[in-house]
Amino acid sequence: MSYKIPMGPYHPGLEEPYKLDMICEGETVQDAELHIGFNFRGIEHLAETRNYYQVIALMERVCGICSFIHTLTLCQAMEKLAGLEAPPRAQYIRVVMAELERLHSHVLWAGIAAKLMGFKTMFMTCFALREKVMDVLQAISGNRVNYSMNRIGGVNRDVEDPLALVGMVEDLEREMMRTVIPIFTTSSTARSRCAGIGVLTHEKAISCAVVGPTARASGINQDLRRDAPYAAYAEMKFEVPLEQAGDVRARLFVRALEIMESCRILRQALTSMPPGEVSMGGDKFAFVTGTATSRVEAPRGEVMYSVSWKEGSRNPARVHVRTPTYANMPAVRWMVRGARLADTPLIQASIDPCYSCTDR
Amino acid sequence: MTALETIREKLGTVEPWVENRGTHWLNPGSLSVRQVATVMNQVHARFITITAYQLPGSEGFRLEYHWDLDGRLLGLPFVIAGNSTESIFDLCEAADWIEREVHEEYSIDFTGREYEPLLLRKGDKSGVNLREEPAAKPAAAAPGQKEVAK
Repeated sequence: MSYKIPMGPYHPGLEEPYKLDMICEGETVQDAELHIGFNFRGIEHLAETRNYYQVIALMERVCGICSFIHTLTLCQAMEKLAGLEAPPRAQYIRVVMAELERLHSHVLWAGIAAKLMGFKTMFMTCFALREKVMDVLQAISGNRVNYSMNRIGGVNRDVEDPLALVGMVEDLEREMMRTVIPIFTTSSTARSRCAGIGVLTHEKAISCAVVGPTARASGINQDLRRDAPYAAYAEMKFEVPLEQAGDVRARLFVRALEIMESCRILRQALTSMPPGEVSMGGDKFAFVTGTATSRVEAPRGEVMYSVSWKEGSRNPARVHVRTPTYANMPAVRWMVRGARLADTPLIQASIDPCYSCTDR
Repeated sequence: MTALETIREKLGTVEPWVENRGTHWLNPGSLSVRQVATVMNQVHARFITITAYQLPGSEGFRLEYHWDLDGRLLGLPFVIAGNSTESIFDLCEAADWIEREVHEEYSIDFTGREYEPLLLRKGDKSGVNLREEPAAKPAAAAPGQKEVAK
């Protein structure tokens, strides 16, 4: 006899406002229905009532982890409409901030995944490491969550001494290589909870059009930093990690390898940052009538903004945000099919869902 | 032949691709969105999203469909005069949530699919978030239109 088990919207294991109704046969999940929208905020509508300064601060609140990425994507779209291009130094600073945010996000995810595996000591280790990443973000921006770094035509703050930050990045990298990555990739606890669990096949990943580490763990070789470079990514050398298994372990491996690639990009950006201005200056901008679209590879995958403007207006006519969790979450239905009920929190967490983004 | 030209050839259109602000746009003309979605599947383009714009007055809506082809962003705008258009959900599974969202935000019906319960909010009203009604036409008076809450 099959029965339905609701998980969420306020499940203690998930702590995010969404709901998964699972149809189970014994301990095995046969199918699942996903429900979102419990905290839908209507930010796109609100954006139409904000001027070009206020809308940046507003969009920074779409996500609590990728706040920099959202303003970067928005500012890139607005720069296209204003006919501006950020100076080279600002482009490098944008890369530094984006990669630090990726480190922050991936280490945070690793901690939560460890907690869901029942690996509490690893959770504490990851969160201690996350603090160090946030210390670097604070050293650059003065803030730990909403960094207020992006502006139209550049960034708000310079990195005074980039080389001083290289040491902090190397410390992070050493700690990752010494503890986090070896434990996650070799420990029997991680292996037994992750291998062969929550498989998203390559074919289904293509069909669902998933993005980011979720796609790359199912063998889809895509990364906007390489395929459609923005900021200063065209000048960076890095690899795009790829796994074929499509299970939770593959998603874990991809993120672990991405942490190392982020450190590599950070070292390059900090040591070769060109001198010069960090913004185009000026505080009044004129936008042409039309629509501009911008995409950025956030820690969870592709973020896309479509921004529409009417000439002479201070407010955008329309701002549409497509977040990575919005693309990845429907695939969870296929990941949990056939899984044990006890594995479903970890499977859901393995896409690194963000409901702040989803309920934008 | 480039991938973009292959798409044009498969669609049988004479319209050129126009690159504007980093997006490759193609005017679909009289093509249906289902024809476009079929060709996009054939060339293995990745569906990204649909962005809806309400046109001024009561002119209808513009729906911009976006796909990614090897890092190139493709955009195909479709203008719909009424409140409905064809769904591509059966051709493109990834369009499910965004079709439901546009349906809820603008009260546009995507025909040929069944709707699951509302995605973003409880209740039975759609068009509550982003759709604007012309001041001269109260929502209740518009023919064939669902109840709209302001």
